[in-house]
Parts: sequence; C-alpha cells; structure tokens
Amino acid sequence: MFYHLSLEHEILLHPRYFGPQLLDTVKQKLYTEVEGTCTGKYGFVIAVTTIDSIGAGLIQPGQGFVVYPVKYKAIVFRPFKGEVLDAIVTQVNKVGMFAQIGPLSCFISHHSIPADMEFCPNVNPPCYKSKQEDNVIQEEDVIRLKIVGTRVDASGIFAIGTLMDDYLGLVTQ
Amino acid sequence: MADKTMPIFVPSDKPVKLIKWKVKQGAFVSQGQILFLYNDSSGSNADLKKYKASRAGTILAIKVKEGDTAEPGTSLAEIESCQHPTVMKEMCAECGADLRTDEGSNRDVAVVPMVHSVPELKVSEELAQKLGREDADRLLKDKKLVLLVDLDQTLVHTTNDNVPPNLKGVLHFFLRGPGSHGRWCHTKLRPKTQEFLESASKIYELHVCTFGARQYAHAIADLLDPEKKYFSHRILSRDECFDPRTKSANLKALFPCGDNMVCIIDDREDVWRHASNLIHVRPYSFFQSTGDINAPPPLPEEKSKLSGKNGAQVQSINQLPLLDADPLTENDIDKSKKEKTSSKPVEKDKSSKTEDETETTTDKDKEKTDKEEIENPEDIANTNNEDPKWVETSDGQIEVEDPDDYLIYLEDILKRIHKHFYEEYEKSGKGQIPDLKHVIPAVKERVLKGAKLVFSGLVPTHQRLDTSKAYQVARSLGATVTPDYTPDTTHLVAVRPGTAKVNATRRMGDGKNKVHVVTPDWLWTCAERWERVDERLYPLQRAGQSSSRRVPAHCGSPPPPAPRKRTDSGRFLDFNPLLSFSSDDIADMDREVEDIFNESDESSSDEAKTHGDDLDDEENPPENRLISVENEDSCSQDNRLQDMRDASSDSELDEDCKPRKRPRPSSPPSDEEPPDDDDSSWRRMGAALEEFLAQD
Repeated sequence: MFYHLSLEHEILLHPRYFGPQLLDTVKQKLYTEVEGTCTGKYGFVIAVTTIDSIGAGLIQPGQGFVVYPVKYKAIVFRPFKGEVLDAIVTQVNKVGMFAQIGPLSCFISHHSIPADMEFCPNVNPPCYKSKQEDNVIQEEDVIRLKIVGTRVDASGIFAIGTLMDDYLGLVTQ
Repeated sequence: MADKTMPIFVPSDKPVKLIKWKVKQGAFVSQGQILFLYNDSSGSNADLKKYKASRAGTILAIKVKEGDTAEPGTSLAEIESCQHPTVMKEMCAECGADLRTDEGSNRDVAVVPMVHSVPELKVSEELAQKLGREDADRLLKDKKLVLLVDLDQTLVHTTNDNVPPNLKGVLHFFLRGPGSHGRWCHTKLRPKTQEFLESASKIYELHVCTFGARQYAHAIADLLDPEKKYFSHRILSRDECFDPRTKSANLKALFPCGDNMVCIIDDREDVWRHASNLIHVRPYSFFQSTGDINAPPPLPEEKSKLSGKNGAQVQSINQLPLLDADPLTENDIDKSKKEKTSSKPVEKDKSSKTEDETETTTDKDKEKTDKEEIENPEDIANTNNEDPKWVETSDGQIEVEDPDDYLIYLEDILKRIHKHFYEEYEKSGKGQIPDLKHVIPAVKERVLKGAKLVFSGLVPTHQRLDTSKAYQVARSLGATVTPDYTPDTTHLVAVRPGTAKVNATRRMGDGKNKVHVVTPDWLWTCAERWERVDERLYPLQRAGQSSSRRVPAHCGSPPPPAPRKRTDSGRFLDFNPLLSFSSDDIADMDREVEDIFNESDESSSDEAKTHGDDLDDEENPPENRLISVENEDSCSQDNRLQDMRDASSDSELDEDCKPRKRPRPSSPPSDEEPPDDDDSSWRRMGAALEEFLAQD
C-alpha cells in the first residue's frame, strides 16, 4: 500500500559545502540518502515529494560537520499481509517462483500455486503450465498475487505470496 | 502427521449454536482467519461471534453442520497445522508464519537449500526427496544426465592483471565490489566452448558449480550462455557453498535423491574429495601468469603450485621437440621464472602470438638461456630480464594462437559416459538407476583394457610400484602393470632410452608380438583424453630424453595421502628408539659414523652420497641401480647424479605438496667459494676503507 507521509531525516554535511549553494546541497543530499531506502516501519521510500522545512544546522563540536534536521513528505510503499498486488515474475524453479513488486521481492511456493499448474523445466525459460488451457506463467510475466507474510529486516522487506485465491494468477494485458 | 492434527473445541463452556462456516473442508487457513460464526446460546445478549484460527493449517474435517448446536468439549473440526515444508528467510512460504518467533521445534523441518542461487530458500527433507525424484524421473525420460561444470580453468580462464585491450577472443567485464570498488576481469573462453556446451546440453542438464563469487559466476554464465538456455538458474557459486574448501558438501542438498546421475567436470579433484564421478580435466591456462583466481581460500600454496605447474606444462608442450635439457630442471626454472616474471604477463602473451618463425627463434633463445641457467643458476634473474621475448606487432586485433583442443576430447568422453549409462539402465530394467560413480570408472577402464605395461625409469627406486601415481593412472585406465618384462607385455613406458628394460625389449620385441616402446607422455595423453592414443606419436627417441616422468596435475587420481598416525599421547613414537639399544650397540654406531666420515674425507662427497643412497634402497626393487650400472660406461657420473636428483625431488613432491625450495643442483665443490676466502675479501674491503678514511 502506498502512503504519503511526513517524515524526518537528519543530514550530516561536510564543511566544504558551506556557501551560497548550501541549501541546495542539503536537498540534493536528502534525495540521495532517502529515496530507495527501506525501513521496517514505513516500508520503501519511493520518492520525496516536498521538503517542508530545513531546520537550523547544528555544528558538531570537534569536527565541524553540520547536522540539519529536515522534514519532508514522501511516497512510501509498505506491503501488508493480505494485500493483493501485481508483480513481475523474475525466476521460476521447481520449488516455486520469485516475483518482484517494484522494490519488493516475493516468493510464491509451489504449494501456493494452483495445483493444476505444473512446473515444466524443459522449456526455455522454465515455466508453470496448466494442463488443460494454455495458462503459462514464465519469467517476465505479470501476475497478481496475495501477500501472506512479510519478513521485515533492517535493510529490506521480503514477502511470501500466494496465487491460491480468486482472481489471482496471470494478468493478461 | 497425526500428532500435528488438532481438534477445534467448542470455544465456550456452554453449548454453542453454529451459524455459518466460513471455510471449506480441505481449505488452507492462515492464523487469525475467521473459521466460523457462532452464537453463544446462554444469554439473551446473544449476537454473532467470530471464531478465528489460532494457528495456520489445513482444515481436515468439519464435524458439526451449520445450524447445529454443540456441547462444550466436543470438537467442531480438525485442523492440521502447517508443517512449514518450504521456508524462505525463516518464514514459512506456505502459511506466511514467522518462524523466528515460533518455537524451535518447527524450525528444523526445512533444512535443504534446493535452489542453486537462493540459499535462503529451504525445503523439508520430505519435499526435497519428492522434488529430487521428480527431477530424476524427468532426466530419465529425457535420457539426460546431470553435469556439474566448473568455470575457472575448466571452461574459462580469467585474470585481473592488465592485458592488452585488443586481444582477440578475450572478453572484458567489470565487477562491482562493495562500495565504489570493483575490478576488471578479463576472460578467455576455452576454444570450442560454445560447441561443447551446445552438444553437451543435449544429453546433460548443465549446472554451474564454481568457487567464484556469485556476481562473477553469473557474469561468466552470461558470457557463456546469454540466452540462458544451457544453465538457466542452475548456478552455484561460492556464496552458496556450505564449505569454503569443498564443493561436494552441496551435492546432497542439490540432489537429495543421491548423486547417481551426477557427472562432474573440474580441474581440481580435491574440492570434490576425489569423487569417482569426477572427470578431471586438463586445467586451461591462457594468461600465463595467473592461476585460478577463484581457488579455494585456505590453500594458497596449493594454488601457486598449481599455476606454476600449468605454465610449465604449456611450455613444455610447446618446446618438447626442441629441448634436450633435462625436463625436471627445466620445469624448475620455468617455475622460478614464473614467479619472477609474474609482472610481465603482457610480454609473454605477445611472445606467443608472433608467427611461428619468431616463436621458434625465441624458443631457441630460451633454450639457450635455459642452458646457461643450468650452468650458473645464480644468473637466472639477469638472463631473464634480458630475455628477448618482447616483440611488437601490428595494431588492431591481436590474434593469440591457442592450441588447446581439450574440449573436443571431453565432449567425446561425456558422450561415451552417457551412452554407457543408458545402456546399463536399459539392461537392468526399469527402476534400477545405475550409479555414475561406478559407470564413470568403468568407462575409463575400457581405455587401455588388455594393455600390459612395464615402466622403466618412471617410478623412483625407493617407491613401491603400486603406490606410484603412474601405476594408479595406468590402473584407472584399465591396463595392467607388471614390474618386469613378460612375454605378453604390450607397452614399455620408458623415460629415457638405454635402460635395461628398454634394451631388453628392443632385443626381444623383434619377434612376433611387437612391444610398443613409448614415452610417459603417451600414458598421460591417454589419461587426459580417455582414449588409446596412437603409440607411434610417442616413440621413445634415442637422442634426447624429452619426457617428464612427473604425472601432470590432471592425470593423477591418487587417493588422499594417509595421514601419519599419531599415538594416543599425540606423538609419533611413544618410546625413545635409542633405549632399545645396548650401550655396545650405540658405541658400534658411533664407530660406524666415524668410519664413514673418514671415508668421505678420502673420496669425493658426491660418491659418499651415492653410496649412502644405494644402501637405503637395498630393500626396494633395484630398478634404478640396474639402470645406473648399465649406463655406467657411457655417461656414468652425470646420469647417476641426475637420477638421484630426480628421485629425491620426486619423493619430496609426493610427500608434501607444498612448494618448497628445491635443492640447488649440487655443484662441484670447486664452484663454491671457500668460507675463508669470503673472510679475506671482507678484510680487503675493510683495509680499503681505512685507507680511504686516512686520506681525508
């Protein structure tokens, strides 16, 4: 799920940037430091939309670095259990398949793929194929899945998905 | 699993009326999912209550129908909790349960990492078996086998050194390291790699199994197989290896139903613990200064030794027809050169790419320098620097001649193994899968089947025949080896002409059954190609002794050396051996030593050494002694010395595989500066200095 959130971040700036472009540097640094990161609480920070305030810089005693508290708004993506999402299949193997939902990787076990779909390792690329109709899921395909669990680490989020529900599976464009 | 089945009891101490089931029988429910709605029939404030699943699992049976009333204590349904057969990052991939917070008993169900490139994904033993069986069935149906392919020095050779950017056939890629670091890799595919993969993939399912880092392995796999049709995702790299030293630890996980159908090609035997389903390939070496950049970390000495050997090998192949120097010494010097010239890979590459003519001249020059080096070994460094190897060529693509054609033979070997396997499979009837661990040695044994070999000068005198590598190589090829000439001998493998056995064979071989007299290279080539090479290509030449009796690294398949046993106390001997002698004995020994010292004063030190050596060899087959006796008249002293040197260095090689300082060729004592001479020169210098100071 996407959220537009107010967040805070502290920018540590080297004294060499002190000058007329100082605030621009702070903004630039915020973008590079924040966008694309992931926290367990808010999920992936997709994009910073506005920078609301850059607080008074505080010079660190003894080293000359300056810390700016920055308040900004950003779009974040936080996956939840039970959420239904569209994903792109990245790898198919005998245990299941891996899919990517933007920055989020997701694994779907063989057991969570409808039982009529079988793994076919001999075709290139390998795929899951149903017996009667030509329902084929292979790499690069778009599928709709439901998240059944998330693993939140310090550095990222990993999800477990399933295709065992109504209207899940291959998305035909 | 009966013990994992648990009933759902009436969630109240009063009878409840079941209003609606929210799940069906056989459905999978996750923790917290609503199972049914019920009505607590006790009070008037009876509104619908929801019952949520306390844990994830499958509904096995629903025992109470909608609308019925159930008494407390009766079970409404049975739920089988999730076994967590597939676990990804310690999270069940079936029910999404977090296994880190769960009780420990559930955690060890899924232990087998079945997917090459994702070590975090683990499945239970049971599921692994099932998947493994499916794989095996599919392979049998497609008439395929599994082939684990090593990358470095088997299919490719990669260097991090700087190489000319326009070398033909060398691919360059950049590997991003941690942070902003990274390194350029330059990779040369072995000649005919594409053809090899193409034809091997028809009868084998190819897996990459390398000690390179994951990024490197995938980069190389992309180069080899841009369409992912050979390897797909079956790439196992160092990041996924359980053990940094061996690859065999991963076999069990990748092939849970046993490795009956697994064939391995690798240039290193030790990483597979000398498995019998391994085809030991000749290491591919293109960039001469670089060994295997991804050799297992804890064996740095091994690695340097390996690279040294490879280089020496390539060189000796190129130079064999020209050189008549002693091969061993030449190897030594090559090795030392390798260490010294490691900073000049470019030069070496360039020298090899020049036209034949120049190459011959350089070789001749080298030969000359080699000889010089033998004469005065202390000049090695100097002559090396002046070596005229640096030849400039025209611009554009630099074409490097790469004579390696091993993959053609390897392809043939693999085809034969495949054929043999499926012949056995069909013979044995369905269900009985032959084991490649037996099939591969059997195929190898056909190579020299029926041949009866005699070795001459190949095995050092102090070594027993059946412990020598040459013997083991010959046996693994199916040949029989006898210590002496017999009427049905078919081959005589001799290091140099003029030995007793060679002469005997030459005399007797004129009769009806012709005995092939060949150099050991014939045996090594047979072992390398797994085919009976034409003996006429490896005749024992009268003139030079050109062949090495050292087993090339890829031919030997020795069992790992048995460690010397220690006694319980941790020492090698628990008693002082001297205690078993009486004082008279010891006095005797003293006298003996004294005598020897007195003798050696009279004769030259070399002779004393020979004498001692011969005494030591008394119990062993007196092969070399015979030889030396025979040779005595013609080229006595030199040859014998050479023999001894060979023997001693060979034995050293066998005993410990570390690179060591070779004993300098023992030079006559006149060459060495006497110590007092040294002193006097110091004194002279001191006097000169004093004079110089006095002038001031």
